[in-house]
Amino acid sequence: MTDPVILLQILWTGIAMSSYFVLFTVAFALTLKVEKLWNFAQAGLMGIAFYTMFYTLNAAHWPPWLGVTAAVVLTAAVSIAVEVWAIAVLRRRHSSGLIFFIFTLIFSQLVAFVLTLMFGTEPETIFPSVMSPVRIVGGVAVSDWDLQAVGVTLVLLALLYGLIRYTRDGQFMLAVADNDKLAEIYGISAKRAYLLSGIVAAVLICAGIYLYGTRAGVTPDVPIGLTLTAVIATLVGGLGRIFSAAIAAVGLALLQSFSILFIPAKWQALLLYFVLFFALVLFPRGIPVWRIGRPKPLAPMPVTQAGE
Amino acid sequence: MTVSIGRRAALSLPLAAFAVSGGRARAQQKEPFRFGALMPTTGPEAGYGLDFVKTYEMAVKDINDQGGVNGHPLEMLVLDTQAKPEIAINAANKLIDVDKVPLIITAWSSVVKAAAPIGNRTKTLELNMGANSPDIAHLGDYVYTVFPLAEVDVTALAKYTYGKLGKKRAAVLYINNDTGIGGAKIYRDVFTAAGGEVVAFEGYDPKATDFTGVLLKARVGNPDVVHIHGLSELPQVIAQMRQLGMQQQITSYSAGYNPKLLSQLGPAAEGLIVTSLAPTSDSNPNVAKLLELWKQVGRFPNGLPYLQYAWDSTVVVAQIYGWVDKNGLPMTGENCRKALLAIREFDLPMTGKLVIRDDHRIDKPVYLYVVKGNKFVLLDTVA
Repeated sequence: MTDPVILLQILWTGIAMSSYFVLFTVAFALTLKVEKLWNFAQAGLMGIAFYTMFYTLNAAHWPPWLGVTAAVVLTAAVSIAVEVWAIAVLRRRHSSGLIFFIFTLIFSQLVAFVLTLMFGTEPETIFPSVMSPVRIVGGVAVSDWDLQAVGVTLVLLALLYGLIRYTRDGQFMLAVADNDKLAEIYGISAKRAYLLSGIVAAVLICAGIYLYGTRAGVTPDVPIGLTLTAVIATLVGGLGRIFSAAIAAVGLALLQSFSILFIPAKWQALLLYFVLFFALVLFPRGIPVWRIGRPKPLAPMPVTQAGE
Repeated sequence: MTVSIGRRAALSLPLAAFAVSGGRARAQQKEPFRFGALMPTTGPEAGYGLDFVKTYEMAVKDINDQGGVNGHPLEMLVLDTQAKPEIAINAANKLIDVDKVPLIITAWSSVVKAAAPIGNRTKTLELNMGANSPDIAHLGDYVYTVFPLAEVDVTALAKYTYGKLGKKRAAVLYINNDTGIGGAKIYRDVFTAAGGEVVAFEGYDPKATDFTGVLLKARVGNPDVVHIHGLSELPQVIAQMRQLGMQQQITSYSAGYNPKLLSQLGPAAEGLIVTSLAPTSDSNPNVAKLLELWKQVGRFPNGLPYLQYAWDSTVVVAQIYGWVDKNGLPMTGENCRKALLAIREFDLPMTGKLVIRDDHRIDKPVYLYVVKGNKFVLLDTVA
């Protein structure tokens, strides 16, 4: 198992498999950063996105680009609806964080039940075939799916980085994330920032579930488990750090993949929860390695009495 | 002449008419004999579970159309288990305590095991019709199987792979649950006893989607054959194996005998060898009748051989109830068990002769199929 080709294969497949994990994590971390919301409703959005693609491509026989577009539009529309008619209402009522959390969880369960009624519970894939053409590069099997997954993830992350760094709306999102009240005093619409983060998250979720659903079977209750892994990566990456969470997601996926060298495969899933347990106990603000190179905040100015 | 009817008499007329017609109906129809079925009608295994239930309904209707059990209509109560033991326990308790059924049909190894202590404690007969964990033979006095346990087909497959196919080195990969562990251990032990070498024996998490690690572990051992003892994730495991460039012979058990697997894998399924424990319509015309009924449903069913056992298990239930009724005994689980052991040999329409053995096992011929041209083609029959 220590043959370099095998190690490279595990590395490559681990990176490719981490793609949807990264996209779900970034979507979760973004809403957490901008809206301060542990948004488990994203599991429901995953379900809506998957079954829209499944239905439009398999039952309605739409071309793939149209099915995927329909999924993005519907998922973004549901995301906006949830924001406008539920989250914003709770925000206006100054509801506690627990109420937000419970609402998003219930929303996901409701969607899962509705999808179960509509589509049943048999595992389904977006396309009838789960096979993908493969080429051998230096002894390592590289499938079209792997390349597509890595490519889509990198492009979407680059676009997100560009949005946050170089557009006014992206910078407004960050301003709202830092202090929504102060941002509104400066004329920034917090509502617009919340909606934008929801739409961006919906796009990332659609891409993630497309990649997942073209490789493995999905049932209506699968998205809840996928959201949990995104939560773990967000916690390990550190709250409020979107791209650190993405790196944590890749790290966790690789840790799981390489663990096969040391532990039986049946224990691989357990590893995630071990990491989460120790990360929460030892590094409640995220693992410090992600914070290296960031300037430390200035010490607060001493409070002085007037006239001193 | 006019007849005047008082208000009370007028009000009582419809009631009287209803009482007469109801009484006639009661005389025509005896009390139904009810049995329970614990099946996954939701959850990942519902694809099979719902088709099992549909087949029970067909079999019950067929029996009732022929006059029922000594004139009593047969009635089935189905409760969902999602193939999960914790849900099965509640469902079994409900069927026994509330619905008072003396006999329950179950499938899925973890469900059969979960319901077993309840069946033994309450003296309710539990008949397994689709699970194959070898442990089922040791679950107690009230748990019997009408479906061959893994020893039957997995033993035949492992011997065939070594003896007839000449494969000497096997990798065994399995889903880490009761179904996978039990079957994989049998394959390993039989293959090793036959003279072969098991170069990898690796289980994977039931929720896993990436099987690269286990497959690479198998590849390192340089096997001639890879036996995969999985469930609904089987196509993904095979797909990833082929994508890693592993071209070894693949074998699986009866769960692999599924048309959906062929559509998901396409040419990658070519050469796959799976087992089946029931004859096809070519050798048994009754199977053609079952397929005809499924045509009316509008699609080909999942896991046809299992459905043949589903039909036959309903026939077994009818014969058990018939024996108890004929001997004037109360319809209890204890008497159902007595009937099962008294009858012992059943001549069943879909799967042939069934002999209940004292060691709670049964024997059946094993049909080996190979995928050729995206179809399952009979490779051999092992008696």
